[in-house]
Amino acid sequence: MSTSDYPALDELNAIQTAFEAAGYICTTRIATVIKLAAALEKPVLIEGPPGVGKTELAKTCAQVVNRPLVRLQCYEGLDESKALYEWKYGKQLLYTQLLKEQLGDILDGAKGLSESMDRLHQFGDVFYSEAFLEPRPLLKAMGAKAGSVLLIDEIDKADFEFESLLLEVLSDFQVSVPELGTINAESKPLVFLTSNDTRDLSDALKRRCLHLHIPFPTVELEARIVASRVPDLSQSLTDQLVRFVHAVRALDLKKAPAISETIDWAKSLILLHAKDLEGGLVLDTLNVLLKYEEDIKMAEGQLPKLMASAAA
Amino acid sequence: MTDPERHPVAHSASSDQLLAFIQFLRGKKIPVSPADTLDAIEAAELLGYSDRNLLKNGLAATLAKSSHELATFENAFDDYFQLASNTPAGASASEEPFAQPEASQNLSPLEGNIPPQNNADPLEGLRGNALFDALESQDESALSVAIETAAADVKVDEISLFTQRGQYVRKILDALGDEALRAAAIEFEQSEPAAFEAVQALREQLRERVRDRVERAYLIHASAQTEDLLDDSLAKLKLGNIDHSQMARLKRLMERMARKLAARHGRRRRRYRRGKLHVGETIRKAVATDGIPFQPKWRKIERKRPQIMAICDVSGSVAAYAKFLLMFIYALQDVLPRTRTFAFSAALGEVSDLFDTLPVEEAIEKVNLKYGGATDYGRALNDFSELALAEVNQATTLIVLGDARNNQADPRLDLLSEMKARAKKVIWLNPESARLWGTGDSEMLRVKRHCDVVKECNSLNQLARIIDQLLSDRR
Repeated sequence: MSTSDYPALDELNAIQTAFEAAGYICTTRIATVIKLAAALEKPVLIEGPPGVGKTELAKTCAQVVNRPLVRLQCYEGLDESKALYEWKYGKQLLYTQLLKEQLGDILDGAKGLSESMDRLHQFGDVFYSEAFLEPRPLLKAMGAKAGSVLLIDEIDKADFEFESLLLEVLSDFQVSVPELGTINAESKPLVFLTSNDTRDLSDALKRRCLHLHIPFPTVELEARIVASRVPDLSQSLTDQLVRFVHAVRALDLKKAPAISETIDWAKSLILLHAKDLEGGLVLDTLNVLLKYEEDIKMAEGQLPKLMASAAA
Repeated sequence: MTDPERHPVAHSASSDQLLAFIQFLRGKKIPVSPADTLDAIEAAELLGYSDRNLLKNGLAATLAKSSHELATFENAFDDYFQLASNTPAGASASEEPFAQPEASQNLSPLEGNIPPQNNADPLEGLRGNALFDALESQDESALSVAIETAAADVKVDEISLFTQRGQYVRKILDALGDEALRAAAIEFEQSEPAAFEAVQALREQLRERVRDRVERAYLIHASAQTEDLLDDSLAKLKLGNIDHSQMARLKRLMERMARKLAARHGRRRRRYRRGKLHVGETIRKAVATDGIPFQPKWRKIERKRPQIMAICDVSGSVAAYAKFLLMFIYALQDVLPRTRTFAFSAALGEVSDLFDTLPVEEAIEKVNLKYGGATDYGRALNDFSELALAEVNQATTLIVLGDARNNQADPRLDLLSEMKARAKKVIWLNPESARLWGTGDSEMLRVKRHCDVVKECNSLNQLARIIDQLLSDRR
């Protein structure tokens, strides 16, 4: 079955082990989707709340398959000159200057306008050639010889037109430069798109992707994640911490704490040499977990309840 | 599935079943295109049909396109494979109550559950009848295949009504050749009571299986159609008359309509942004490159930022409609231009903020609480003029929702006409049927003269159509 360009991603168990070794705990669902992506050569659209490790998944994947990661951060107003390619204007300008100087030699002895034009046409047209092409992330990913991992981050922030621009890249792994024609991928990259669901993506884009929705993890999974990221933290403290975070997530918050915030919190507890999760310590460090004053207030109000569920 | 004889059947049955499942998903309102179908088949082949969870994950990646579709998908997958687990390809044939695993793999010898009298062999005459043999030997795979074939022959998947079940059971039994068994049973009835019992028991078993098959078809195919029917009629009903128990369904329906509208109109949003070449700007830019115009500059097509102001009557008689208009508008936030909403019954106030910060339902409750009461259009229009008239301009579309029943007070139509003069458009939506306009204390006929558009608007369909219209002539 190793028909794909990424043999490391052929077996589910191998994927899970390799990712875990790279510090990313992935569920069977995630592993299945990655396997499918490699085998079917399809991009993966990852959705889910902020901070559940969408971007991290792509980064880890690049590490696992040992290919360069090409990242394209999307924002409003992103266009082809920043995502696909740009012409090297400065060099083109120099080239025209050179051409001007050489013009005398080229046209030397030519009679009449038409003959001059003929001579000029014989002269190779390098003005729009790959030599003057400045590749941007998408083109760079297409150009990588041994394949690459392309991460198109927060696609929902880009404009609608940009999605259409991506369609060609995503379905055929090629880029069209009007002046040059079509450039095909040397080796098909693994493509990840992430979205925070701030708006609906077009059906055309969705149709071309495999879908992966990463929700907040279960208590057990998150405990494993924290344990792998912050190995110095004791087992019992890790469990308490994760249960506490889960109880916090159940509150009606403006922004629920993400996995990355759980990890940050775990790290700060290490710095503070905490042995046990106790009220005063939690109060002092709650701002690592929660980013809005109102949220912190609410959590403080509910502290006894939260502590109880952490101890359970 | 190691037996080479069985493999091809099971294999094609698997992908057939996958297709049937996709049909089922479509019934559940997950749009699956032919291309998605191909992807799903490819994924399923790659992952195999034997591990149900693996298959579920793989299919989810190719078929469910968003988080709410994912939830629907997961339920549908569980439901379907629960229902469909009796067919030969079902990944979990072992869950099936009267499956006998050995029987399905090697064509088993006679099982002992046939009454011993069959040695006397009045039944011998029936041996050789494929159906009878399969029943007698409890050959799971042969029976299932036969039932599936017969079911396909009589097109059981076209079942659409609950009451058609009996008819389809009959048809399938006929197609299976139950007639011969029946004739034999009638023959035995007098002479061979034991054989009669045996045949009848087998026939009853067969009937049971067929009935299961038909019910499955009903659940999978007809229930989806019934849903459609229900949605359809719900969209046509007057919103005020809809029972509270249907609210959840109504809301789902509305959200779906809103998503559709959003998808349709979102696309158009910025298509014609770029105008003609801006010669002056291009030349100015070219100064830096020695007069060679490297970067053409384009004129932007200037468009006034459109704005919608919705003024809703939230008094008792109209509250239900106001609620849906507001919900619709807020479901469309992404594609609608700047929207401001006002609510009134007597006093009027702006409620845009409420909607920005609270979930829609809660916001509407608050609005009702704050501004509900006896209607006074005159006062409401006056309040609006003071509050926001200055910001009404040629880019503003005003939508008023109300029944224009003003309890004999002065409706201040002078203010309405001033609003009309300033705004691009004034649209009045009246939930009352047009026949009632102008009767009793309704000022609708007078109001009509001061509006650009007046529409009767009391069902979800009408509402969707009006908003569609609104989005279409935005340019």
